[in-house]
Amino acid sequence: MTIKELELKANSIRKAIVNMIYNAKGGHLGTSLSEVDILTYLFFSCMNIDPESPKKEERDRFILSKGHGSEGLYCTLQARGYFPEEWIDHYMDHSNPLTIHPTNKVPGIEVCTGALGHGLSIAAGIALSAKLNEKNYKCFALTGDGELQEGSNWEAAMFASQKKLDNFVWIIDYNKLQLFKSVEDTVSLEPIRGKLESFGFDVHEVDGNDMTGIHNTFSSIDFTCGKPHAVIAHTTKGKGISYAENVAAWHHKIPNTQEWEQAIKELNNARV
Amino acid sequence: MPEYKRKSIRASQIEEYISLVEQGVNIIYVVSDSISTSKIAPFMERFPERLVNVGIAEQNLIGVATGLSNGGFIPVTGNATPFLISRSNEQLKVDASYSHTNIKINGLHAGFSYGTDGVTHHEVNDISTVRGFPSFEIFAPMDPADCKFITRYSVLENNGPVYISLNTGEYQSLLPENEKRTVGVPLQFEHGDDITVIALGTAIHDVLEAYTQVKTKGICHADIFAVNSIRPFYPDSLIESLCRTGRVITVEQHSTHGGLGSKVAELIADEGIGAKLFRMGVPEGVFTKNWTAADNKKYFALGAEGIKAKIREAMKL
Repeated sequence: MTIKELELKANSIRKAIVNMIYNAKGGHLGTSLSEVDILTYLFFSCMNIDPESPKKEERDRFILSKGHGSEGLYCTLQARGYFPEEWIDHYMDHSNPLTIHPTNKVPGIEVCTGALGHGLSIAAGIALSAKLNEKNYKCFALTGDGELQEGSNWEAAMFASQKKLDNFVWIIDYNKLQLFKSVEDTVSLEPIRGKLESFGFDVHEVDGNDMTGIHNTFSSIDFTCGKPHAVIAHTTKGKGISYAENVAAWHHKIPNTQEWEQAIKELNNARV
Repeated sequence: MPEYKRKSIRASQIEEYISLVEQGVNIIYVVSDSISTSKIAPFMERFPERLVNVGIAEQNLIGVATGLSNGGFIPVTGNATPFLISRSNEQLKVDASYSHTNIKINGLHAGFSYGTDGVTHHEVNDISTVRGFPSFEIFAPMDPADCKFITRYSVLENNGPVYISLNTGEYQSLLPENEKRTVGVPLQFEHGDDITVIALGTAIHDVLEAYTQVKTKGICHADIFAVNSIRPFYPDSLIESLCRTGRVITVEQHSTHGGLGSKVAELIADEGIGAKLFRMGVPEGVFTKNWTAADNKKYFALGAEGIKAKIREAMKL
């Protein structure tokens, strides 16, 4: 896919997310919108995957450690062909595998997440399994930023570095907001780059809502460098909807009809 | 009953894991610096590439093991029960149980077997805690041969999360390794109509010692059972016994809530059995003592003397 095609895909996934949350009256809008461009790039351009065979041994793996960003992942997986659109339309119906926090009953989802600070350890274990099995698959894990206040992430970071897991990519959706207010005013991560470097990571920074930048960053990763990789993705929470951008309340606020109409209108008119 | 040499339960389990790997089973053993705790040295010498040490990081222990399972290994973890249960609690719930991961988790030095290391190192709620995690099967082997059977079953016949609570110390195997056993069915050692005594895991050794003395004195005739599986749990033989004897003692080196005593209390209530229950264990709301395991056992009356006294008390009713 070209950059332009990826941008168009991300825009259509954004609309699907807004519709999904509006229809179901549940979900996490802001955080799903901040991660969309990264997910689109990973699933449509970067990872070695086959939606027809989601358990294929050699597949690259993706772990959504920030499980509350499920709508972003669901709409990406659906667009990639992992399950029918009907599942999105009936989000949160009792018979539907799609629940607010993701489970591995959904094709394309490796493990259940939703409690924060779990994904990196699992991803490190997957990356280690590839090394031990002498396979080439990689594991990508997406965490939030506030999530990094959980100490378990740093256990995983030390371990990944110790084991030289250069097939492990930790992406931080750094939208700078957590549930109530900014990460900076809660418990700051800064200097995050220095922290990651001191933990032995090969660190990259990118505008996580810019497809060209994302492409250039991921293309530049050297998967033979002997270090695990960290991508600090500077993103905008609520990206693409003017009234939701950078507003902490839109972490899990549900749009009313007027807000929904405006969101869809803005996304339809987005200059992609 | 055949005589067998006393042997460490943990060491016998490692023998079984070595045997399974030799048979081609893709086991990988994961520790949180718990090399000596797990008695893993013989395995490590034989298969150094199949041992992963995550350092002193119990959350990472279960997370990494979950990832290794995703990559096709059968991960087995071994670390001290208190740190496993308390520190890895949410990983046990979400990564292992909710995700239905093929992972085998061993709680080592369960109960108060860490002795004078004290309350921080004791864990008398492991079974109670893991019962709260739905997809786990939960075992407490009574001796080395039993542990080998459960270990083999957990790896070869179960593709989900399994928790095995392992006591410290050396025990004599009560049944031959090749004795036919059915997972989840209590093992009966003695038959009698006066009282039922049920032991969790290794507590069967204390119960049998107590009963030998009681029987000699002609105090009572008892049904004696060992329960080595809390889930699955097929209690038909226990129900029949309780209906017949009307009085039952449970013995466990675990809290009296959430373990065997609770399980039998639930059974009595659910089945509407008219039986008086005496629960022996660490009472609810009480810390263990920072003493040796033997002294804790004596303090909580879980040795043969205490069990004998409880049988006498129960027989007076």
